[in-house]
Amino acid sequence: MWNYALKRLIQGLITVWFIATATFLAMHAVPGDPLSGAKAMTPEIQQNLEKKYGLDKPIGQQYLIYMKNLAQGDLGISFTQKNREVNDIIREHFPVSATLGIMAVVFAALGGSLFGALTALYRNKWPDNVIMLAVILGISVPSFVFAAFSQLAIVKLNGLLGVSLLPVAGWGTISHMLLPSLVLGLGTMAYLTRLMRSSMLEILSSDYIRTANAKGLPATRIFARHEMPNAILPVVTVLGPAIAAITTGGFVVELVFAIPGLGRYFVQAVQQLDYTVIMGTTVFFGAFLVLMVIVVDLLYGFIDPRVRVS
Amino acid sequence: MTEPISSVKPPLLDVHDLKVEFDTYGGTVQAVRGVSFAVEAGKTLAIVGESGCGKSVTVQALMGLVPMPPGRLTSGTAELRGRNILGTSKIDGQDFRGSEIGMIFQDPMTSLNPTMTIGRQIAESLEVHRGWSRKKAMARAVELLEMARIPEAAQRAKQYPFEFSGGMLQRAMIAMAIACEPAILIADEPTTALDVTIQAQVLDLLGDLQRDHGTAIILITHDLGVVARMADEVAVMYAGQIVERGSVDDIFYRPAHPYTVGLRAAMPSNNPNAEHRLLPIDGSPPDLFSPPAGCAYAARCPHAMRICNSHEPAPFTVGPGHFGKCWLHHEKVPNGAQTILSAVEGTPAGDLVAAASQSAEEHS
Ligand SMILES: Nc1ncnc2c1ncn2[C@@H]1O[C@H](COP(=O)(O)OP(=O)(O)OP(=O)(O)O)[C@@H](O)[C@H]1O
Ligand code: SF4
Ligand SMILES: [Mg+2]
Repeated sequence: MWNYALKRLIQGLITVWFIATATFLAMHAVPGDPLSGAKAMTPEIQQNLEKKYGLDKPIGQQYLIYMKNLAQGDLGISFTQKNREVNDIIREHFPVSATLGIMAVVFAALGGSLFGALTALYRNKWPDNVIMLAVILGISVPSFVFAAFSQLAIVKLNGLLGVSLLPVAGWGTISHMLLPSLVLGLGTMAYLTRLMRSSMLEILSSDYIRTANAKGLPATRIFARHEMPNAILPVVTVLGPAIAAITTGGFVVELVFAIPGLGRYFVQAVQQLDYTVIMGTTVFFGAFLVLMVIVVDLLYGFIDPRVRVS
Repeated sequence: MTEPISSVKPPLLDVHDLKVEFDTYGGTVQAVRGVSFAVEAGKTLAIVGESGCGKSVTVQALMGLVPMPPGRLTSGTAELRGRNILGTSKIDGQDFRGSEIGMIFQDPMTSLNPTMTIGRQIAESLEVHRGWSRKKAMARAVELLEMARIPEAAQRAKQYPFEFSGGMLQRAMIAMAIACEPAILIADEPTTALDVTIQAQVLDLLGDLQRDHGTAIILITHDLGVVARMADEVAVMYAGQIVERGSVDDIFYRPAHPYTVGLRAAMPSNNPNAEHRLLPIDGSPPDLFSPPAGCAYAARCPHAMRICNSHEPAPFTVGPGHFGKCWLHHEKVPNGAQTILSAVEGTPAGDLVAAASQSAEEHS
């Protein structure tokens, strides 16, 4: 198990290096640079600036410097925000994105497992039909549409009740977090519901559930001890990619709900071609996702004895 | 002065006129068509018959394991010590499954929960039916595994099904099924999925447990060797009905139905004295979507008469506890019983008996 974890960690580092290199190359492949968009600059000023940021050096050398700094955990200084280190930006805004993301993942995983189990247990009856209709909506409608509609609904609801039930946007308290994380997790929840449904259906007709019935166990116990633990295994395996989907979806939701997360900075940075911020946040997100996938895999190994023991 | 109302002890389990149907896209399958049998305490009833004749559905209906829908019970009663168990899983609010009747299945590899330890799966029954603590139940689970001849039971109890071999899993299944000392153990082809060498061990275990605990066994099998070795009583099933029912001696020495004879002739035998010929029964079982009006076996029976196609034969009693559902036993058919015995040309009944007992010896 520990060997396996170590192996996965090394693989993860290689992946992160790969992401960093690809981002670096992509950055230098797009036309223009952070300085070209600025107001009229005399060639002297431009040269000075390029020198300051090392943009005048050959690309190979720039790459080496970038890698060296990266290895030391230094992501550089923003081009567009005066004297702000990328590290500071991440430190300040990532916790917000992470909170949003984690809540969304929890919503998606809990909701997906529960609704999926429900649809399987009530197969072809009304709860199944209603939930599966919602699932199709959840999978096909993009999250910014849900975001807008949910804001509209909250505004109407608040107006109707005369009190502010939930804030429409912003960040700070739990009540700020509920709606955006729900919206963010919705698509993934729909996907997990469908996965859980088919997994549970297979388990329900399995031989060992028949055995559990032949032992005369109460239905609740069969559900909790035999059906659920086996049925969620496929859901756990896709949790890594699900976290990735939610994190990237977070950028949009942060914008719509005016949440001061990292996603907003990333989008801004892309628009302004802020090299260091783009590369820094991309590598950071990449590393974070790689770590999450490893954590999920190890978690899977822990809950499935067939993997754990071997 | 009043006589005792009945001097005959009622059987442990009494099944009467059980009928089970399945609704499918192709129509309604009449899987079990009026099955009646009784099980005596401490005795083994073997149910034999071709694949698809309704053996599994019969016992699963008793255990409430037939999926409904598509399945449907259309008739029948089943009484365990005089209490109805059909269409319910409870007697006096207590689930009789696992406590009064235990069951083991054909494929032990898929019949155990892959993510729960063997010990927990055994202990679970005791916690549910006896209200034992987890610890007490686990301790008993280890004893049960020892009883099922699993070496190093204490360690094994902490392992998962994938760490067991097929034979060990089936013994663990047996330990699980008898955890609450049920009066009846149903074994649906318990050795079919196992290696021949392992089969004997599992059958031995079943036999010993029966002797030690007085458990009645309903044993479903294809293998007449297993029948000869294990059974006291035999029910021969064909197309959803019991066509012959008798003691194991009746079935081997005095078969009362042409199908029974056919089954035996189709059984592989290593007896050097017997003819090395396997005689599969020609044809296939009738369509259970619309079973024939007369005898279900008529299309394949070498002795079929005109009446066989139009009228269903009654179960003719041919001896104590022995009946055959065949018109040949009608008083107007001369030498009917003899006809059945001579059914398979060149294979007198004696050879078949020899073959059966030979096969039984090979198992031990
Ligand atoms: N869930 C179901 N839906 C439809 N038909 C079914 C279902 N279960 C069983 N049957 C039908 O019932 C009949 C009897 O099946 P059963 O499993 O009892 O046979 P069996 O005697 O146990 O055969 P085998 O020796 O192969 O186990 C078969 O014709 C089968 O097609
Ligand atoms: S009733 Fe007729 S067809 Fe059926 S087994 Fe007897 S002889 Fe054969
Ligand atoms: Mg069967």
